[in-house]
Amino acid sequence: MEFHDNYPQYETMYQHDEAHGKQIRSKLWKVFWLLLAITLLELFVGFKATSWGLLGSTFLKFFFIFFTLVKAGGIVLVFMHLIDETKFFRYAVLLPYSVFILYLIFIILVEGTYCGYPANKTSLDKNYKIQQIVLRKYHKQPVPAELTEGISEQEIAAAEAAAATETHAE
Amino acid sequence: MSHSVHIDEKTAWHGGQSPFRLSYGKIFMWFFLVSDALTFSGLLCAYGFIRHKYESIWPVAENVFTHFPFVTAHVPLAYVGLMTFILIMSSVTMVLAVEAGHRNDRKGVTLWLFLTIIGGLMFVGSQAWEWYHFIEGTETGAMRQVWDIDQHKYVWQLIHGANMTYNEYGVPQFANFFFFITGFHGFHVFSGVVINVIIFINVLIGTYERRGHYEMIEKVGLYWHFVDLVWVFVFTFFYLL
Repeated sequence: MEFHDNYPQYETMYQHDEAHGKQIRSKLWKVFWLLLAITLLELFVGFKATSWGLLGSTFLKFFFIFFTLVKAGGIVLVFMHLIDETKFFRYAVLLPYSVFILYLIFIILVEGTYCGYPANKTSLDKNYKIQQIVLRKYHKQPVPAELTEGISEQEIAAAEAAAATETHAE
Repeated sequence: MSHSVHIDEKTAWHGGQSPFRLSYGKIFMWFFLVSDALTFSGLLCAYGFIRHKYESIWPVAENVFTHFPFVTAHVPLAYVGLMTFILIMSSVTMVLAVEAGHRNDRKGVTLWLFLTIIGGLMFVGSQAWEWYHFIEGTETGAMRQVWDIDQHKYVWQLIHGANMTYNEYGVPQFANFFFFITGFHGFHVFSGVVINVIIFINVLIGTYERRGHYEMIEKVGLYWHFVDLVWVFVFTFFYLL
């Protein structure tokens, strides 16, 4: 079964020889190393976020989102060859991405807090709260204030004692 | 890239040519990818809103995803980092296959496409391994209210692991979103691997040699890069943030 696009020139337009291929390959490897470096940086910061006291902070959120967008841009523009395409087509693909995805991320981070506690005083189940308090204290992570609302010191101590006597798989 | 095809702006949309200087197959692969990206961003938005609602009791990813194969230590997020690396590597091998296709280098295409398939299979296997450990849970477990059919009411029970109704890590939505988003993405990776295998067989039997161009590799490469792209976002929102 042969496909005829009626535009065979578009299919063969990007064909190139070995010399040109070498240039292209070196550019691809450069972008790969950049992506790898960014991933390692993100993982390192994510790993150290607890000890640096950054867990849940705004800086951390924007840090990760910024580098994710850099990685996404690298993949879309270079690996998917979008940068070689016509300007009009680039816009046709990137503008919906920008509007719906970037703006969506921004609006969720800004407006999403209205879903949460304490603006929306849904009472969270006590057992979930105690579990999270015990876990965070065990891993020396910050315990948010709203988490300890309505839970007495004795309950936390009792839960920690119970957890200490159990075996931990990790 | 040599753009030897000239488009006159005045007649670009009059028919008989592609105003984007692209074949329709590629254009529609791009359009499909944009729509699929919107699907995934819709899912991630839902995840964002639910997570904001339960922000204070949402499990910290570092405490949940701590396993690494063949190692019994507590290594938070290391395996997920490895999975990201594998997928990015497979993206690189894919784009090298596309580049080899542009030079009509059949041997190069075969090699790089084969490596891409291996990378994809490794990723799907790793994801299955993550799911297994997530579902199995830790020895500690947690107390949850579980529906008892015989007593016809909720009873407190020490449960381990996760399913769609309860999980030991936190609220039920945590496991639900984990399964749905990573599962939907894993399904995309798996279908990408299947498509790659079909195209690989076509390369082996020489379909594209006869056709004169390796554009199918490019189109399939676009889908594979999209899968990698989505993983980059899922990885950030689920595991890092």
